[in-house]
Amino acid sequence: MTALLWTLIGGLGAAGWAMLAWHRGETVSAAWLVVAAVGSYLIAYRFYSRFLAHRVVGLDDTRTTPAHRLSNGRDFVPTSRWVLFGHHFAAIAGAGPLVGPVLAAQFGYLPGTIWVVVGVILGGAVQDFVILTGSMRRDGKSLGQMARDEIGPTTGVLAMVAILAIMVILLAVLTLIVVKALTDSPWGVFTIACTIPIALGMGLWMRWRPGQTLQATAVGVVLLLVAVVAGRWVSESATLAPVFTLSAVTLSWWLMGYGFLASVTPVWLLLCPRDYLSTFVKVGTIFTLAIGILVTMPAMHLPAFTRFVDGTGPVFAGALFPFCFITIACGAISGFHALVASGTTPKMLDRESDARIIGYGAMLMESFVAIMAICAASILDPGVYFAMNAPLALLGGSAATAAHAVQQWGFTLAPGQMDALARSVGETTLLARTGGAPTLAVGMAQILGGAFGRAGTAIWYHFAIMFEALFILTTIDAGTRVGRFMFQELAGHLWKPLGRTSWYPAMVLGSAAIVAAWGWFLIEGVTDPLGGINSLWPMFGISNQLLAAVALSVGTTLIIANGKARYAWTTLLPLAWLLLICSSASWQKIFSQDPHLGFLSHAAQTTAAVTAGTIAAARGSRLVFNDHLNAVLCGLFLVITWAVVLASAKVWLQRWRPDPAPDSAAALAA
Amino acid sequence: MTVARLVAVIKRICGMPDYAAYVAHLAAEHPERTVPTEREFTAAYQKSRYEGGANRCC
Repeated sequence: MTALLWTLIGGLGAAGWAMLAWHRGETVSAAWLVVAAVGSYLIAYRFYSRFLAHRVVGLDDTRTTPAHRLSNGRDFVPTSRWVLFGHHFAAIAGAGPLVGPVLAAQFGYLPGTIWVVVGVILGGAVQDFVILTGSMRRDGKSLGQMARDEIGPTTGVLAMVAILAIMVILLAVLTLIVVKALTDSPWGVFTIACTIPIALGMGLWMRWRPGQTLQATAVGVVLLLVAVVAGRWVSESATLAPVFTLSAVTLSWWLMGYGFLASVTPVWLLLCPRDYLSTFVKVGTIFTLAIGILVTMPAMHLPAFTRFVDGTGPVFAGALFPFCFITIACGAISGFHALVASGTTPKMLDRESDARIIGYGAMLMESFVAIMAICAASILDPGVYFAMNAPLALLGGSAATAAHAVQQWGFTLAPGQMDALARSVGETTLLARTGGAPTLAVGMAQILGGAFGRAGTAIWYHFAIMFEALFILTTIDAGTRVGRFMFQELAGHLWKPLGRTSWYPAMVLGSAAIVAAWGWFLIEGVTDPLGGINSLWPMFGISNQLLAAVALSVGTTLIIANGKARYAWTTLLPLAWLLLICSSASWQKIFSQDPHLGFLSHAAQTTAAVTAGTIAAARGSRLVFNDHLNAVLCGLFLVITWAVVLASAKVWLQRWRPDPAPDSAAALAA
Repeated sequence: MTVARLVAVIKRICGMPDYAAYVAHLAAEHPERTVPTEREFTAAYQKSRYEGGANRCC
């Protein structure tokens, strides 16, 4: 009976893939995308995660977990598996799996879909699961601590430097996404501005009545919805609209100021209430979107493959290999998860066997969020998708020039189409809103409008923008703090007092240093004629994938140390793939002859333009400096990762020992 | 599921402090210790949650 059921699930999944691969009509229903993905997840969970849990890691419920052994009622708390699943999922899912797939839709919907599904099954979920179990068996130690203990002290420091650098790029690119969505949008700016007083109010309430966290959060969510609706009124008011209409550069400075102030404010006042708000809204919206897609089953208009697989695409430079796999990090494999999987979650596992659904299962769920993002981008007219995501430099300033540019790329776009769409969502323009959030919001507005009523398209759009900007702003605050602690830990080696986390001057200095670092990349991105996402998002992808490579190196070391060397291929396989794509992508980003792609050739092109007098000398030298900075950073990421991998490989060779007689293979199929 | 249980589940998923669970833990495991006030507990909880490493992804 169960065999029949699994054959059925397998058959359905295969049918989904077959429809996606061979369907050659105008459109294909998003239902097939969902069927193919979910069928694959179920099969992978049932068979591959079982193999990982039983053979590779050997989960054993007779061992006590740290939640029981070190139980303190605070962070070490035995938690039932579905509650912990929710907690872990809420911690790992964020803007990443929503943005990457939207950008990668430049290649068509199929490359991203295949990578998201295959990548998560063989890579991302394996990484999360192995790191979670490794940390669980080491009293909840962090990735950095495990790197230090298992591989060596130098590797520990390298891992920390890598994490800090990644944090800076991450914060810059996430803030840039918010800037792209809110530029010249009084409705959006007003709604997001409202989240600050709402959070402050909640913070004071919860400080005064610590028992009423849920009540305060519920009121906060209601106020947030009021702010979304009230935004329309602000955008239509002749006096208020200009106040909330901000240029990209002004908005960037405001966000940097916010990041700095938020990160030196006590956690209870701002970060904590924001965290609750964004978790509520995030989980609620993802759930609503899933229902919306299942109810409407929209048709996808984007082709399976576009002509831009050759690397000439307007959204970001680079060919399908390796840049599809760089652009989609979160959703397929995300190194950042290794930090969460070695953070709060391992301290809450009730039984060892729960790690399978939480480590492997929650990552499959995040991958499904990425699939929903692909759906949302694919149901748009391809012409609209490219008009929203190509840089202004290629589109020209008006709807007419944009329509012309899109037609040159082989898609259709009526001149009035973009203006009508912008008006329907209460914006003045949607051209060149690269970064995923607005595209996703338009797609979500179509899906949710279709499922729950067309009348409120503009409300749904601004709800979607609020939802993304809300948790990105929370990440800016939390990330700047984490960066500050790391900065202080490193700076403390140079001068002791700088390492004291409770010393106010050191705190302010640390926060200012981190904000200045990500702010630099942010301003660079905002003033970049090609739109910034073009160069920053690949840098973020590379750094996140390289962190995953570090995590998989640590994971391999853990498996070998556990005496399971013959199963080390489970982590070595995704590691080899990541090293291949990251090394080739970094190499191309630094040395490619194409100035759209290579930092050095872009610098050379800019220098030539300065000599020819087409670019002002001051602007030119800044562009060249930024190109060189990006090239150095890209190279640094690569060198650090290879150093960690090689140091780990040395440990693998030392510890490699053939295991005792292998168990019968028949047990595998059980 | 009782309302109290539902509240505890939501709090745990969102990473909110659960004072009742902590008091129960102290009573069961460390009856000799003095029970902190809800405000003291919340402050200590928030410190350990937000002033450690990364607790969320991108």
